Amino acid sequence: MKNYWKAIISFILISSFLLITGCASLGPVYSKVDKIPDNTGVVYLYRPSSFIGGGVSYDVKIGDTVITTLYNGGYYPYYSQPGEKEFWAKTESKSSVTLDVRSGQTYYIKGTVGVGFFVGRPHLMVVTPEIAEKEIAKCKLIPKEN
Amino acid sequence: MDKIHTFCSMLCLLPTILLSGCAPNVVITPDIALVQSKDFSVSGKIDYDGNLEYLPRTVSTESHTPPLLTLRYRYDVSYGRDSVNQALPLFNPLTIVGFPIGADTVVVTAKLEILKGSSQVKTYSSVCVLDKHRTIFWEGETMSELRKSGLLAVRNNIESQMYVDKDLLIKAGMQN
Repeated sequence: MKNYWKAIISFILISSFLLITGCASLGPVYSKVDKIPDNTGVVYLYRPSSFIGGGVSYDVKIGDTVITTLYNGGYYPYYSQPGEKEFWAKTESKSSVTLDVRSGQTYYIKGTVGVGFFVGRPHLMVVTPEIAEKEIAKCKLIPKEN
Repeated sequence: MDKIHTFCSMLCLLPTILLSGCAPNVVITPDIALVQSKDFSVSGKIDYDGNLEYLPRTVSTESHTPPLLTLRYRYDVSYGRDSVNQALPLFNPLTIVGFPIGADTVVVTAKLEILKGSSQVKTYSSVCVLDKHRTIFWEGETMSELRKSGLLAVRNNIESQMYVDKDLLIKAGMQN
């Protein structure tokens, strides 16, 4: 009987640990950057909070460089050099979008998690400012260290 | 024996059925025959700062100065919204037999303006709509790949339109 309870408590503790490790301490709620640095455009990568795939997070990259890890309910402003830039993310499948970044311009890329066989699949999409401004409003800043 | 034969046939047909809906639908306007020839180009000052791969190969930089013509090329890419709620495929039993779990749409528009001074000599435009569904077995092309396909399609389409006007462009003295 004692062993039975010990197994249950261990299971709960391990499950909680695994769930918490998928989370990150996010910063303040969304606010638009005051000034875009010269010769750069700003790309907001955001992921509205959702129960579906909430525990799954994934790296968003340009080439082999990780820009940020996109957590549920998080956003990250990325200052990009002008030009054609491909943003991509991968778990059991790859998703990518390409933007023609121009100086002084603002872009929005929304990330979601969809159904997969073993793990949720990332899905990136380019969103218009009108829609993105509403969706990103409740997202919290993903710290740079992540 | 017949049952085994039927079973084998079904086994072969199933992947075909599942994969048949995977290729993206591509609609391009105007719908004209593709011309592969590369023996013709209009030269002038090229007004375009994007990826040269997407620039129609029927335009080239004028070696003489000052150039008589200005060739302005612009394109725009817009993305459709994935309207399928992610909770739906999670609880839909048909997901496991290849029912779509999402859709991606990319619309590419391009325009080539041939200008002589401030007056417009000729304008070519093209629109390409690419649409594909994702299933649990097949994600298909990424948005980046669809965008690239669309940009190459409009480039080829504008090239073909220019070949149709080849005689006109030669008469206008615009050929190399």
